[in-house]
Amino acid sequence: MSGESITHSWTTRRQEKQRRLQSVLPWMTGPLLPRERIVESLEALICAGDRIVLEGDNQKQADFLARSLVQLDAKKVHDLHLIISSISLPEHLTLFELGIARKVDFAFAGPQSLRVAQLLEDGVLEIGAIHTYVELYSRLLVDLVPDVVLVCAEAADAEGNLYTGPNTEDTPVIVEAAAFHDGIVIVQVNKIVEKLPRVDIPGSWVDVVIEADKPFSVEPLFTRDPRHITELQVLTAMMVIRGVYEKHQVHSLNHGIGFDTAAIELLLPTYAESLGLRGKICEHWALNPHPTLIPAIESGWVKSVHSFGSEVGMDEYIRARPDVFFTGHDGSLRSNRVLCQLAGQYAVDAFIGATLQMDGDANSSTVTTGRLAGFGGAPNMGHDPHGRRHSSPAWLDLKTDPSPTARGRKIVVQTLETFASGGVPSFVETLDAVEVGKKAGMPLTPIMIYGDDVSHVVTEEGIAYLYKAEGIEERRQALAAVAGVSPVGLKAKPEETARLRRIGVVAFPEDIGVQRLQASRSLLAARSMEDLVAWSGSLYLPPAKFRSW
Amino acid sequence: MNKVTGTPAFVTRNSFIELNARARARILFDEESWREMVGPFDRMESPWLPMQDVTPEADDGCIVIKGKIAGKPAVAIALEGAFQGGSLGEVSGAKMMAALDLAAKDSREGSITAAVLLLETGGVRLQEANLGLAAVAEVVSSLLALREYAPVVTVIAGTVGCFGGMSLAAGVSSYVIMTREGRLGLNGPEVIEQESGIEEFDSTDRAMIWSIHGGEQRVGMGLADVLAEDDAENIASAVREFVSAGKPAQYRSRKVALYRERIAALDISHQIDPLALRKEWGKDVSHGEKQ
Repeated sequence: MSGESITHSWTTRRQEKQRRLQSVLPWMTGPLLPRERIVESLEALICAGDRIVLEGDNQKQADFLARSLVQLDAKKVHDLHLIISSISLPEHLTLFELGIARKVDFAFAGPQSLRVAQLLEDGVLEIGAIHTYVELYSRLLVDLVPDVVLVCAEAADAEGNLYTGPNTEDTPVIVEAAAFHDGIVIVQVNKIVEKLPRVDIPGSWVDVVIEADKPFSVEPLFTRDPRHITELQVLTAMMVIRGVYEKHQVHSLNHGIGFDTAAIELLLPTYAESLGLRGKICEHWALNPHPTLIPAIESGWVKSVHSFGSEVGMDEYIRARPDVFFTGHDGSLRSNRVLCQLAGQYAVDAFIGATLQMDGDANSSTVTTGRLAGFGGAPNMGHDPHGRRHSSPAWLDLKTDPSPTARGRKIVVQTLETFASGGVPSFVETLDAVEVGKKAGMPLTPIMIYGDDVSHVVTEEGIAYLYKAEGIEERRQALAAVAGVSPVGLKAKPEETARLRRIGVVAFPEDIGVQRLQASRSLLAARSMEDLVAWSGSLYLPPAKFRSW
Repeated sequence: MNKVTGTPAFVTRNSFIELNARARARILFDEESWREMVGPFDRMESPWLPMQDVTPEADDGCIVIKGKIAGKPAVAIALEGAFQGGSLGEVSGAKMMAALDLAAKDSREGSITAAVLLLETGGVRLQEANLGLAAVAEVVSSLLALREYAPVVTVIAGTVGCFGGMSLAAGVSSYVIMTREGRLGLNGPEVIEQESGIEEFDSTDRAMIWSIHGGEQRVGMGLADVLAEDDAENIASAVREFVSAGKPAQYRSRKVALYRERIAALDISHQIDPLALRKEWGKDVSHGEKQ
């Protein structure tokens, strides 16, 4: 048992952090760094090969820091491993073109999805993996611990305490992953103030604060103008209310973004009210503050809403409704994406989302040819979490196996029209995602929601209660029955469809008491943005791009 | 706790903007008094659209309804904004002109017949270029002939607005009724941006567009007469009032000297502020908001 004793340091990360911070110390006043020093400071604080997190999701963006990063000298700082939840800004990809970054792990790439696919093909960018939100944040605490994180906040004080305000979103988890593992935390703030409205992140977690040249940008992603809701979407919404929410007594839920779900929200105070459903469905929500939920809130339908982020224009309305929303002692919303995703995963009865394409086994994807859009948060909520143990009437209602050891099931609803605009069928033999996945060299096809997680599919034709179907053949026939004249729908056999309707595996509108002719826009509680403003008592201030007055 | 409120009145109102052109026109008339002329079953379609792979419509997006408004003979001509942006082609232009000419003929012969134009249109239909341009000229000339005898009321409710050649028709009307969502302008936002650049006019800046073209501004400046709430009965009643009122004392389009003077007086050394312009030009506006 002899040998040379190896001197092992257990503080390499801490020492390295100290060394880097030391080099910017001359420019700092406490945690505050003057804006004009940003580029040289980042060159000192970030080293080649570092793993960094740049805050940017589908709503808010640390855009000043992104604009600063592309100014770094690629000879000094290169081959960074970028972790970002949403590749949204052109600068995010410029980092790769300049050679400053090399590898990326992300969750979503909506606006930049075409360019991501192109850069990947050109070999300019290497993808670690495409994640769901919760998955990506979880890895920050396991095998993707960051060296440097770059985040944004509304305001900071001289101590470096942060106010992240209504759009807190991802900031706490990103900061936590770095602050408690000797990573460096760099924050852009809209302004530096003497006294913060509230402290969302304590100053001792923060290393460097810079006042940005302009406020960080936030996208009003969850706003849907009721003017554009079609009568087909009204019909689908009526079917969901009767055939899913009422049937299974859905008390808690998450709605994806889209006109289908906006239509449901706007039918609660009118159509669902006339069915006597208030207090029986849709009371607790894991949801961003959708403006289209205002009429339901004002009519006493909604008991609580916890949010991933805020929504542009909703701040004053939220401030005035603290019984419904989660707010700080200062009155403004406190959102938290990871916690809300977990709530949407484990605590709600139902998730409902719209998709673009579905195959005959109910696998669905929003990936279309030439685009690498990623997953975002939908798969977190759009699956049946086997870690759930508490029961609710809806969860138990989906238990079809009488065995005492069988579990309940989460309701996962996918809505889609059988044909998309331009007469392209939405139900297809093979998802575009299969080809995209192959081309991008991905180990698996990028499926958004797996068919075996889907309990219900709702189209303008009717509802397929997939969870009830026995065996793969019956499941396919049930889906075909509501798939119209698409390639999948053409496989439906009339006598089989009739049988499935009799046993309740398929329902057409008339089977669940929905009258097609009643599906009119006049049922919507708000038919324009102006109506939403009126419902809110003028507390909701829609962003200019949604105003037509 | 949450207070439970009943359904507010605006939710159950009959929104005029929600109605299609035919329904908008019908709702203006006294019950049972109306009939549609050259309706969809007469199949007067544009012969030009199919040649360009555009599906035509059996009424060519122009609905003509004859009947009585407030007990008086009237004809309503409505352009359907959902079909080709409400654009004016050969057939729709001919329908419009013929309706105005027949109203003028009846009026001359003693049966004073008002016209109501429901304009949701970007103007000339590009696929029928010259024929559309000719139609605009004919419509304006017919309209000028008719207004000597009977009131011509234009309604611009939204959401398309009234632009291009048809804004001239609005300009020579006896009366113009708008909603806050309605827009009135000679050139549409995209056209201005294309011709003068994005610095001059950003066609995605909705707040700016409505501050210039929007109903509130147009009525405030005196370029339209009534700002009506988006409610079918409300708008129908404003139309009835103008039909009953007969010809106006003076036409806006005749106030040439006044507008020349006003335009000459503008200080163009700096960006003109819409609100200030509204204050200045709106001083003598007699009509106000119609609730």
